[in-house]
Amino acid sequence: MARFHPLQVTDIRRDTRDSVVVTLQPADGAQDAFAFTQGQYLTFRREFDGEELRRSYSICSGLDDGHLRVGIRQVDGGAFSTWANEQLTPGAVLEAMPPMGSFHTPLDPAADRHYMGFAGGSGITPIMSIIRTVMAREPKARFTLVYANRQISTIMFREELEDLKNLHLGRLSVIHVLEQEAQEIDLFTGRIDADKMKGLFTHWVDPVSVDQAFICGPEPMMLTIAQGLRDHGLTDDRIRFELFASGQPGRAKRPAPVQVADGAEACEATVILDGASRSFRMPKRGVTLLEAALAQDIDVPFACKAGVCSTCRAKVVEGEVEMAVNHALEDYEVRLGYVLTCQCTPLSDRVSVSYDH
Amino acid sequence: MSDTMNLEDYLAQGGVLTSPANVPPRYRGELMRLMASFVDSELAASAGFADTINDAPGITSRIAACRITLEKADHAERVLRIMGEFGADTARYAVHHPWAARVARDADLGTSRHGQDMRLSVFHYPFEGWVDAVAMNVLMGLATGVQMTELTRVSYAPLAEVFRAIAPREARHMELGLEGLKAIVATRAGRAAAAAALAYWRPRVAASFGTLGSARFETQKRFGLRHRPNAALRSDWDTAVTDRLAPLDLA
Repeated sequence: MARFHPLQVTDIRRDTRDSVVVTLQPADGAQDAFAFTQGQYLTFRREFDGEELRRSYSICSGLDDGHLRVGIRQVDGGAFSTWANEQLTPGAVLEAMPPMGSFHTPLDPAADRHYMGFAGGSGITPIMSIIRTVMAREPKARFTLVYANRQISTIMFREELEDLKNLHLGRLSVIHVLEQEAQEIDLFTGRIDADKMKGLFTHWVDPVSVDQAFICGPEPMMLTIAQGLRDHGLTDDRIRFELFASGQPGRAKRPAPVQVADGAEACEATVILDGASRSFRMPKRGVTLLEAALAQDIDVPFACKAGVCSTCRAKVVEGEVEMAVNHALEDYEVRLGYVLTCQCTPLSDRVSVSYDH
Repeated sequence: MSDTMNLEDYLAQGGVLTSPANVPPRYRGELMRLMASFVDSELAASAGFADTINDAPGITSRIAACRITLEKADHAERVLRIMGEFGADTARYAVHHPWAARVARDADLGTSRHGQDMRLSVFHYPFEGWVDAVAMNVLMGLATGVQMTELTRVSYAPLAEVFRAIAPREARHMELGLEGLKAIVATRAGRAAAAAALAYWRPRVAASFGTLGSARFETQKRFGLRHRPNAALRSDWDTAVTDRLAPLDLA
């Protein structure tokens, strides 16, 4: 199971009105745990009002930069990002898991590849890491960045990109697409759609020259660009994705208060799956919730039945259960009411679990 | 076009998910089940082929059996690593079940899972010697080739990437089997043994494509975890088997 390590904040730089770049220093002995690959992200945890919240932010540093930095854009109603933007100060200690993610391709110093990056808003963060790394480690590589934002003032890493462009003249080109501000070239105004992709590949970039594309942004942008790339001959193995999902909940909800267990031998169990509720009676001993649900021909997910894989994870929305073994859920998930149904027996007279939550 | 969209619409249009943080609970369950089935099948296959190494009739065939044993375990580990990112205890998972355990040769499991793990039913049947293992490897290798056309485009991008890296090596396992089969059918006795083994394994491998008209398929399809129904995949496999075995006069 992944472990959290302390990271000290050594610097916070305001990048735009609503984003900060945070420099982090692993504690002594934990440096190795934070060796990263370009394009990876860190998952942080912090308690807000007694509830643990986890959020992932991409690393923006290159492999040879000698620092570990993440970019955090403030999201409306986002507890972690608001706190990071408004209250985080140097010297604070954050907790994060070692870097994860596979938004990268192997580096080859001898290769003369042409990379394309498509970033939407804060989706630039992992692509910054890739650009910085590729420019340093692959001297013959070229990189074309297409970077979509609402307006000039919201462009993250704007100056840094200008500096990189000047440092790597002829190797790094940056095309800004701005939704709300007219530019000299129409192609670069508005949202990226199929027509813009076509225009891009007709007038600016020869699609045949592209070896590898990276896309990072919200869902609609990922779809549009991936389709545009496929229409211009790029196969799936040459397109890498990192989704900055819009759907991350701001706050996790606490489970409903539990009823006190009582003496009856059987329990009225309800299983919620794909929006449908099914109720049945089951004994309180000798049968797990998973087995009872399977016996009712409910197609609930499971695999190991040994409490190690977490495929059968569900949330208790009513009542109280007991878990025999748990090798997969972390304490904070248990506190939120998640259980491994393969290890659960009911304690209360009514129990309701949801696989949809 | 807005900045946000419903996740199911996104998946239905071919969108991909990229980390445990952007995976919804029901999707997670189906994804974990799919990965567990692959991991368990690979571990069971590796355990089965390990026993055949000493049956190999020559050094080249011994190396082939070793390689298949090694690489199937490696493929299991790669997918298990992704399960670990979702919280699975990978060390415990790898040993939570006796992967070499098999049912009786004449048992009939049909398409259903059996016992305490998620391996495909075909991996519960025991090998009876070298020819038998080679025949099963060819038939199941062709089935894996067909399954890979689905697995390499699952909507969970880190998993699709693992499958794209695995697919050519799995294809090579099938080719090693085919080379073994060619050597076996060079003798009359070998040909008879191969025909008998193929007859035993063919319906069992066919059953690994699952029930036709499976209800779960619709859920998996909605999530972009599957694309083509079991019947279509099975039909592709039937064609591939005939195409590959006909030149050996075994179809």
